[in-house]
Amino acid sequence: MTWPAEVSAYFWSGFLWRGALLSVEITAVAMTIGLFLGLLLALVRLSPIRLVSSAAWFYTWVVRGTPQLLQLVFIFDALPLIGIKFGSFTTAVIGFSLNQAAFAAEVIRGGILSVNAQQTVAASSLGMGPVLTLRRIVLPQAMRAILPALANDTIGMLKMTSIASVIFVDELTFRSQEIVGQNFKFFTVFAGAGMIYLVLTSIISLSQAGLERWLDPERRATLRLPRWLSGLAQPQALAAATLTQTELAALLPVAAVKSSEQAIPFVVCHNVWKGYGGRKVLTGAALTVHAGEVVAVIGPSGSGKSTLLRLINHLDSIDQGEITVAGRYVGYVKQDGRLKPTGGRARARAEVGVAMVFQQINLFGHMTALENIMEAPIHVHGLPRAQAEAEARRLLEVVGLTGHAHHYPQHLSGGQQQRVAIARALAVKPRLMLFDEPTSALDPELMGEVLSVMRTLAEAGMTMIIVTHEIRFAREVADRVLFFDGGVVVEEGSPSEVLDRPRKERTRRFLNLITQGTGVMPEAAAPFHASTRPS
Amino acid sequence: MRLLVLSLILLAAGGFHSAAKAAVPAECQDVAKKYPSLAGKTLHMGADPQTPPYASLDPENPGKLVGSDIDLAKAVFDCIGVKYEIQPAAWSGLFPAVLAGQIDLMYYLYYNKSRVEKGDFIVYMKAGTGAITQAGNPKHIISGEDLCGKIVATGLGSVEEAQMRELSTKCTTSGKSAVEVMTYSDHAAGFRLVANDRADIMLTDLALVDKTVADNPKTYVRAYGVISGFQIGVAVKKGNTELEGAILDAMKAVQAAGIQKQIFAKYGVDPSLELPAELKTN
Repeated sequence: MTWPAEVSAYFWSGFLWRGALLSVEITAVAMTIGLFLGLLLALVRLSPIRLVSSAAWFYTWVVRGTPQLLQLVFIFDALPLIGIKFGSFTTAVIGFSLNQAAFAAEVIRGGILSVNAQQTVAASSLGMGPVLTLRRIVLPQAMRAILPALANDTIGMLKMTSIASVIFVDELTFRSQEIVGQNFKFFTVFAGAGMIYLVLTSIISLSQAGLERWLDPERRATLRLPRWLSGLAQPQALAAATLTQTELAALLPVAAVKSSEQAIPFVVCHNVWKGYGGRKVLTGAALTVHAGEVVAVIGPSGSGKSTLLRLINHLDSIDQGEITVAGRYVGYVKQDGRLKPTGGRARARAEVGVAMVFQQINLFGHMTALENIMEAPIHVHGLPRAQAEAEARRLLEVVGLTGHAHHYPQHLSGGQQQRVAIARALAVKPRLMLFDEPTSALDPELMGEVLSVMRTLAEAGMTMIIVTHEIRFAREVADRVLFFDGGVVVEEGSPSEVLDRPRKERTRRFLNLITQGTGVMPEAAAPFHASTRPS
Repeated sequence: MRLLVLSLILLAAGGFHSAAKAAVPAECQDVAKKYPSLAGKTLHMGADPQTPPYASLDPENPGKLVGSDIDLAKAVFDCIGVKYEIQPAAWSGLFPAVLAGQIDLMYYLYYNKSRVEKGDFIVYMKAGTGAITQAGNPKHIISGEDLCGKIVATGLGSVEEAQMRELSTKCTTSGKSAVEVMTYSDHAAGFRLVANDRADIMLTDLALVDKTVADNPKTYVRAYGVISGFQIGVAVKKGNTELEGAILDAMKAVQAAGIQKQIFAKYGVDPSLELPAELKTN
């Protein structure tokens, strides 16, 4: 037999393929278990509790730091001495999964850390709990970073199963060695076995490429929606105003708020204190907002405005004081006269009906505009998919983005993204909307479209707290303006009181500073985008 | 699940073998009676199929093991009257598996002081060391005396490796060049060292050397062979008296009937290496 014929004969050898099948079986089972354990381990490693994260670190340290061959022999030959006896296949699966868990944990942890933390904040603000956020928002985005490393691990494991021959696993490499031990034709035998490995690892590589393609939102988008079709749906310059107030009101739970809870203030912040690492940000801030009221909060950067918003929907916990929304604490219980944070904050947020729009927008990067909006209604509020989609499409109409339903955030302008974010917040039917400098990250020419949507909302009777630098917008839309500085409310009143006739010197200074860029007085400061933010 | 299927197949195969085997010596009747606790049991034996002529794959049927140890083991099992399974594994995993109780026994383990502290031995043959070199013996090596200054390949952790380290010291103290020892993890790798001129000579089991030379006369030649003082036995877990007794008695019966010599001859192992069976517990 010529050597190519011999290599081919070994490549087609059923004896070797049965060994390969064993390697594949061990790899498949061990990889599945290893990934699951690895995910748990990664989460434990990310735990804020020191003892818990140290335990996971210790496990990783031991398992990664000792040879796998010794681990296998230990499980197979040492555990029987204390009465625990596993067969060779089971031992291999246990050994390889435990090992994979340690390696995968680090890979998964890296993937999770690679996802912008703001994505979690945004999900949380929509009422999504930690597990849901991990499953729907963080892991799908982390997967793109995790996958190449996991494919490496899978290929590595498939080949590493050969070391299990010391524990009676009769796999591919060992079988080829057995043949060589009998006939010494190492070149042709190993070449044939090598080709079998190549076939198997190629399948893994191809699966990796396929999965990467599937995880890439852009390429997935082209798969789902052919170019010629998406071309038909041209972006519409449709203004939000085209929707009637009654139509919009139907989408919002505003009416319910007004009838039942008008009597008591909807949001009450009383003597709120908050510090970060010794720096006091809020020093006894107080705020009352009635249902249906639009309150604009202005003030210098770093004055604690945004922090107050984050405390109202409990994205951060307060140090002292009290905050109630619709008469209840959001994710706190009162204990010994102080508020103590509890679990289930996301749930509480969803129940009370608080939604938030962020300066950094924070749309979910792996979802289309439509999917971003549908996410919380389906997975938090349990809406049927069809209904959620219908409502999401109407909300897109409200914000004037009908043609962009299937576009991913990276293909939308900043203004369009922020309008999707507003629609996403509205989709959970909030009774209170918090806006944290929603136009600060936008180019001046894109601010108008966002502010226009917000104006429509205000007119529809939504309760809103808006942290903003757009003085003219505040004047037009707000029922009340608060000037915030040094962690407290310095002055508050109607827009004309605070903006035109400020009583406090600090307010006056701030307003002068902020309108200096335009060279006009606040009451005349025309375009929203002409303002300069104080540094 | 897979294990279950695998065991069933092996069990079926094992059962078939014992059924097909004829010519069980008459003395075996007594062995079966003497150890009734073993009746109906399946004994698990481990073997490294990279150790021809003792254990290797059947070239006609690679799923099956053949060799002198395999045939001898089968003769002994049949004599005891038990079912058996022979499982392939890498050599270094065999003895630990015996001690852990993952398998019941293994063949062809050199008996020595440290090993007998952990396991019991039923010795059945003397060890011989063969020296294999390139065809034509270009370095003219005819005895252990000639190894100073040569590159010698030995199995990792083998008795030959220990001997060579010792010899190397002797060489240098008597003013000669040291022995350069290269170790290999499987025999095929060791033979490749010689074939590729990376080592001048390889020391390993005598029968293995003779078989390799017979199969590849154009590549190798035996430089020399010695019967060493070592004894080779079946290793079982310490204190497993029923099994030890049964193997000892069955081995004696097989030897008395001349079966061991026949098997040795069949696989090219020198029949004079047979050692009267004896139990070693210390």
